[in-house]
Amino acid sequence: MQAVRFHGRGGQGVKTASRILGAAAFLEGFRAQDSPIYGAERRGAPVSAFTRIAKEPIRERGLIAHPNLVVVADASLIQDPAARVLDGIDDCTVLFVNSPLNPDQLRAQTSLPGRLTTLDLTGIALQQFGKRGAISALLGAVAGRLVGLRQESIREAIARELGDLGLAASAIERNQKVALQCYDAVPVMTIEKGAGPALVAAHLHVPTYEPPTRGSARISASANSVLRETGGWRTFRPVLVPDKCNGCWLCFAFCPDGVISMTKDDKPVIDYDHCKGCQICVHECPTEALVAEREKEGGVAWRAK
Amino acid sequence: MAGEMMTGNLAAAWGARLADVDYIPAFPITPQTEIVEALAKWCESGAMAARFVTMDSEHSMMTAAGAAEVTGARVFTATSSQGLLYAFEVLYSVSGWRAPLVLVNVSRALAAPITLEPDHNDVLAARDSGFLQIHAETCQEVLDSILMAYRIAEDERVMLPAIVNLDGFYLSFTREPVIMPDPERVKLFLPPFHPAHLGFTASAPHALGVAVLGGVPYTYFRHQMHLAAMNALEVHREAAAAFERLFGRRYDVIEGYRLDDAEDVLVMTNAFASKGKAAVDAARAQGRRVGLLRLRVIRPWPADAIRQALQGRRAVAILDQNLAPGQGGILFQEIAACLYHEALRPRALCSFIGGLGGKNLSEGEFRAIFEQTAQAGVQGKGIGPVLLYTEAEHREMVQLQVLAGALKS
Repeated sequence: MQAVRFHGRGGQGVKTASRILGAAAFLEGFRAQDSPIYGAERRGAPVSAFTRIAKEPIRERGLIAHPNLVVVADASLIQDPAARVLDGIDDCTVLFVNSPLNPDQLRAQTSLPGRLTTLDLTGIALQQFGKRGAISALLGAVAGRLVGLRQESIREAIARELGDLGLAASAIERNQKVALQCYDAVPVMTIEKGAGPALVAAHLHVPTYEPPTRGSARISASANSVLRETGGWRTFRPVLVPDKCNGCWLCFAFCPDGVISMTKDDKPVIDYDHCKGCQICVHECPTEALVAEREKEGGVAWRAK
Repeated sequence: MAGEMMTGNLAAAWGARLADVDYIPAFPITPQTEIVEALAKWCESGAMAARFVTMDSEHSMMTAAGAAEVTGARVFTATSSQGLLYAFEVLYSVSGWRAPLVLVNVSRALAAPITLEPDHNDVLAARDSGFLQIHAETCQEVLDSILMAYRIAEDERVMLPAIVNLDGFYLSFTREPVIMPDPERVKLFLPPFHPAHLGFTASAPHALGVAVLGGVPYTYFRHQMHLAAMNALEVHREAAAAFERLFGRRYDVIEGYRLDDAEDVLVMTNAFASKGKAAVDAARAQGRRVGLLRLRVIRPWPADAIRQALQGRRAVAILDQNLAPGQGGILFQEIAACLYHEALRPRALCSFIGGLGGKNLSEGEFRAIFEQTAQAGVQGKGIGPVLLYTEAEHREMVQLQVLAGALKS
């Protein structure tokens, strides 16, 4: 069985990518299973998705603890412990990271286990589509290539899954074209089967009663959202072009996370430690004084602490 | 006879009054309304120092009750039947907040078809909600159980909300003598409520019932609720002893009636258990060695006490005043489960369904129950669910069908 785990941020399309991979495997006659897991469906929050592909019946469910292939749609997730990108990876695991850096450059920045391969899917998408958007077809195609699925089934799976999402035929065709470029371009690593961890019975903890000060679902810590830095959720950041700003305060009013403050001369200041990169301010700015700039590894204003 | 004539509803209201509750969110529903009417009157006259608020629904009522409780107030509320079901979602939240309020449910069978008289599908629907459940047989027990419920619920080892159940009409509107506990002694029995994990300070907010994902923290908190509910067995034992010391009346998690030498035992709950006891007397007069076991605390499930009471009997009949369509009697299933590991388990377990929608249980039906149970015991093979319905009742039903146009006469 091939077990593929996708990691991305809400809005990047990893759920759809896992479905494209599942559908492609299904079309080739394999047994397939795909499923996402996410919390409150927030754009930018860590999301995982799982695809299993096998010749025999699949008797597993839910999250993949020991993947053969891990597909990372956003390199900033590697540093976010909440995303658990590196869980269960061993020397046999192939790790694909969407990054403009090559594997050696990436390893120089972050110590990564497994066998690493990279491709700048976001860069390709920007170049080919000319705008920011989900890269599900590209991720699905890369994953399909790495597990050894055929181009034709990837093409058909993209049509089915993006069609289900209501994309126009022309948009689907563009996605197929770019996805298959990525399919050809990704440096291939052969997936090997790891031995996996030895199976032993779990050591069970016998629960004991604890007083409700401890045993009830209660948080009494004082305001702590400032401690949870969400700057790493961004794939794009809003950047101010001061000359164009007319000081209207609309960005301040629309920011759903309260991370924009205003100076005395009516210019916005963005708290990049907490800005999630939703781009609502960019969308609302009437004078185009806020623009979206892609976050780059190594050059991020925010780093996990 | 000591005491004064009082309905079960008024006894429930007195329970709340004597418990010196701080807050009563209310919504009327037959046959519970008299409870909140009495409390409203007392709050208005100043006889009670509680704040009484009429809400727009039972859902809001339970939400307000839980929210007030978590600020550290002692809260009472009451509902029935459809009202309990309308509040259902909130029951699980309140128990998860570990907010030990007391809710009185006046049992009334569930629609459809709609009716006003009791059976226990309403209160038993809440059996997995995390609320403790005490089911009362008499008006006196209603009042006393509310005081016990607060003491047990508010114990640091428990901290779970409690339902005290009484049957609509058969207790709610039925007057019988009730001895009023001395308020000064109630203060000794029920100390002021000062929960360590609840309370409200504007400068130090806390969040309750927060979102937890991934199953690990969720499982921990659910385990804690289970352990808390199980602790309530021991806490109940202590409360029962203290209550007896102060007031001279004793309530255990189960009550045995003429069990000592009984070879066959009938299991019942709530107000109809009084009729069951009379039926036991009648059967004994005819030479049958039978007894009755009344389940008083349903949550936590007093498995050990039930096993001890039922082990070694020839046959046990469970009379469920509820019906799980497609399954049978709810309490039958729980009793069967807890007897499975008992080496001396009864030779036959018999399931009877009766008293639905407040339908009378006649002496003849009890006699049929005892006869069928004895026979099952002799044969060593359980029966049921037996759906109790007499031929006379069926003839009455046919007449109604004619009137309703369902049958051509």
